[in-house]
Amino acid sequence: MTSFERLQNRMVGNPVDRPPNFDIMMQFATRHIDKPLRDYYLDHRVLVQANMAMLNDFQLDIVQAISDPYREAFDLGLEVSFPEQSLPISTSPLLREPSDLARLTTVDPVNGRRMHDRLEAIRLFREKVGGCTPIMGWVEGALAEAADLRGVSTLMLDLFERPDWVIELLEFCCEQAILFARAQMAAGADIIGLGDAVASQVSPAWYRLYALPYERRIFQAVKNSGGIARLHICGDTTLILHEMATSGADIVDIDWMVDYQKAAEISDNDGPAICGNFDPVKIMLQGSPEQVREAVINCLSIGGDKNLSAAGCEIPINTPYSNLHAQTAALSEYYSMA
Amino acid sequence: MSEFVEQLALCVERGKVNRESLYPPDLHGQDGTDELAKQALEQGLKPDTILEGCILGMDRIGAKFSENKAFVPELLMAAKAMTAAMTHLKPFFQSGAVKRKGTFVIGTVAGDLHDIGKNLVAMVVEGGGFEVIDLGTNVTTAKFLASIEEHPGCSVGMSALLTTTMVNMEGTIKAIKEKYPETLVLVGGAPVTKQYADKIGADGYSPDPQGAVAILNKKVA
Repeated sequence: MTSFERLQNRMVGNPVDRPPNFDIMMQFATRHIDKPLRDYYLDHRVLVQANMAMLNDFQLDIVQAISDPYREAFDLGLEVSFPEQSLPISTSPLLREPSDLARLTTVDPVNGRRMHDRLEAIRLFREKVGGCTPIMGWVEGALAEAADLRGVSTLMLDLFERPDWVIELLEFCCEQAILFARAQMAAGADIIGLGDAVASQVSPAWYRLYALPYERRIFQAVKNSGGIARLHICGDTTLILHEMATSGADIVDIDWMVDYQKAAEISDNDGPAICGNFDPVKIMLQGSPEQVREAVINCLSIGGDKNLSAAGCEIPINTPYSNLHAQTAALSEYYSMA
Repeated sequence: MSEFVEQLALCVERGKVNRESLYPPDLHGQDGTDELAKQALEQGLKPDTILEGCILGMDRIGAKFSENKAFVPELLMAAKAMTAAMTHLKPFFQSGAVKRKGTFVIGTVAGDLHDIGKNLVAMVVEGGGFEVIDLGTNVTTAKFLASIEEHPGCSVGMSALLTTTMVNMEGTIKAIKEKYPETLVLVGGAPVTKQYADKIGADGYSPDPQGAVAILNKKVA
């Protein structure tokens, strides 16, 4: 069974040889091939090389063009610096004043620098593993992108002080995300992940107002292009789980703070597959292989037939290799137990 | 509790900054924390009363935040309202007429530039009646030590958002404890756990800002 067949079967609850491993790997993958993080963020060849190594050495069931939040924002004009061994850093917001929004225009991803680099990564993935391993592209959700452009704290206050302007900004960000999602699908992506980290920091009412409608529109565009939609909101999403299930996502990532039993409820009947949710720090980084095994099997037994295996968020850079191998072994063990 | 303290606390909790502010809609056109604090001083109320109202308001919104009944935007708005009132107290803090409970030095650990969590803690701790010395992001051990030297008896808070940077906490704590063993050190941030805090020698850990205030209050009780 190929990783693609494994995913397609698992997403609808059909039997598989083992549950897919859908860990998000970025910094760890770069460390694994002994390259500077900066190269992973700026050079699609390094990103692809790192992902291919993860496929071969840790039996992942996905290759992923996800890297950092600033692909779209960089091409829109945000100043971003790229230290050799750290995440990209944005030091000042692009939208210092609300009036700055009027000067912003969407960028065709083909003409962008960092968006284009991601398209190149997807094309290269297609050449190497297309049809066998799911290829995941990525966009920022409209609310997350708005926070990237304006600054998180300022945007949070804007929600109170100039809600109409925020809607205008979200419309812009949504339009940009749809352009980028479509371009990634055209380049050969099978899945589009949507990261909306800041959405877990607002009330459920505001999630429904300022995040969910745009997630739905972006995912609709993904579906219209024949893609699989994956929603990733970092943090405690307990209060918005059922709304997330209505976003149109086929796969909903669940971070480790959420009770996985509760999350599994959204997967019932025609609900999306859920993906998660052991603790990337306490279990993967700091735990023992036996603790990893227990956590992986526990999530699978709770998550139901459509559950995908992954830590709640990105695998930390210094995760012991033995713990990743323990996850791989646990997935095979779970199959033999079934 | 005086009617004024209650009124000010309500405006802090609800994030009502001034008469012009559109939020919250049901208080539109009414005085906010800015006007209330100004009027209180003009009417001869003790400056301490303004601090009392701010502490009460921030305590209420902080408790709601801990219970998932308020969220980051509400906390930021309350902090903005609190700051508008506290601005009127600056001369009294400088002259020593109004005393705070203690000093809290805070920063993100070396290598970490993510400050939203640190900012929230700083705001709530200030609203809890403490002077906050915000060292910003990417704070080196030397900078923490210099600030402790400058503010004898202070407590220290450090945060990290990344697993790659939280490991830097240990060295900083060790250096602080070697030179200033009595200094209370709190840690927090998304990847940090109580277990990790204990392991690296921190005196306290809290997953939310209100918990940090509780630990600091215990120290000064």
